[in-house]
Amino acid sequence: MDSNVVGYSLQYASIIIEAALVVYIVASRGLKRASEVALYLLSLLVADSLRAFILLKYGLTSQQYFYVYWSTDFLLVISAFLLVCSFFRRACRYEEKTWRLVRLLLVFVFLLVVGISGLSISRNQNDLFTYFTVEFNQNLYFTCLVLNTLLYLLLQQIESADDQLGLLVCGVGIQFAGPAASLALLHLTAGERFAQSLAHLTIPLCTLGMLLVWAYAITRIKERAIQVSGCKTPVLAEVTAD
Amino acid sequence: MKNLLLTFLLALLVVLSAISVRRMVAGTATTTVKSPALIAIGGSPVPLPPPPTPQPSVRPAS
Repeated sequence: MDSNVVGYSLQYASIIIEAALVVYIVASRGLKRASEVALYLLSLLVADSLRAFILLKYGLTSQQYFYVYWSTDFLLVISAFLLVCSFFRRACRYEEKTWRLVRLLLVFVFLLVVGISGLSISRNQNDLFTYFTVEFNQNLYFTCLVLNTLLYLLLQQIESADDQLGLLVCGVGIQFAGPAASLALLHLTAGERFAQSLAHLTIPLCTLGMLLVWAYAITRIKERAIQVSGCKTPVLAEVTAD
Repeated sequence: MKNLLLTFLLALLVVLSAISVRRMVAGTATTTVKSPALIAIGGSPVPLPPPPTPQPSVRPAS
């Protein structure tokens, strides 16, 4: 079977799940609790819909699709960075001192990524798209990967009780680490055909994996959290009565 | 002031780690949009590099 068919199927499946999750968050009035997730999903939905439209109109090998794909990726990596920042904020909800340091760290990280990517302009000033946008996208992508790993370690360190946040962070980890691993395989096999086709499918496959983990986190964990918070009051009453 | 410096050093460590991981994983020192060693976000299929546009031939002036 042609790998393009699998690619298209994954693309439409992702769009449907993204739309369903956005509608679910808005309909269940969870916008206040998961606004950062909803915004990221919305940006994914807009980017994927635009890409699908251009893909249908011009084709996979067209220049139009090529440039729309990498331009929307620029917006998506910035959204992903903001998402990771908001997860850090949520993790440090009860620790204001830590959050002040983390906030400063995130600002420095972003400025450093912009600065280091800006150095690439000196290589070729004529083609800004090639030498800045792509460089910036790749650098910020891997920075999000490192930050997400640090966030996971931080959650383990502070023994966070926010199960939903843990799963959301795992979902982001799937999305960032999967393609990086397939790229490493491509490098190790010196660009073998199988590794190449796998690398092309890994990005949509990992995005789909992230969306499924998020769907579980958003629809299931919220209910459990309410149940847990609901049964907290009688336990406290028992303790104080003793 | 000390905290500021430490935070900056930590940020530098994070960014350099990210770039090192990228260089190791992609195995390339330079990036071009035509390189296959690129990663993106989203469920859409990764575009194949477009065919090179034909350059207009320049004839020497007679």
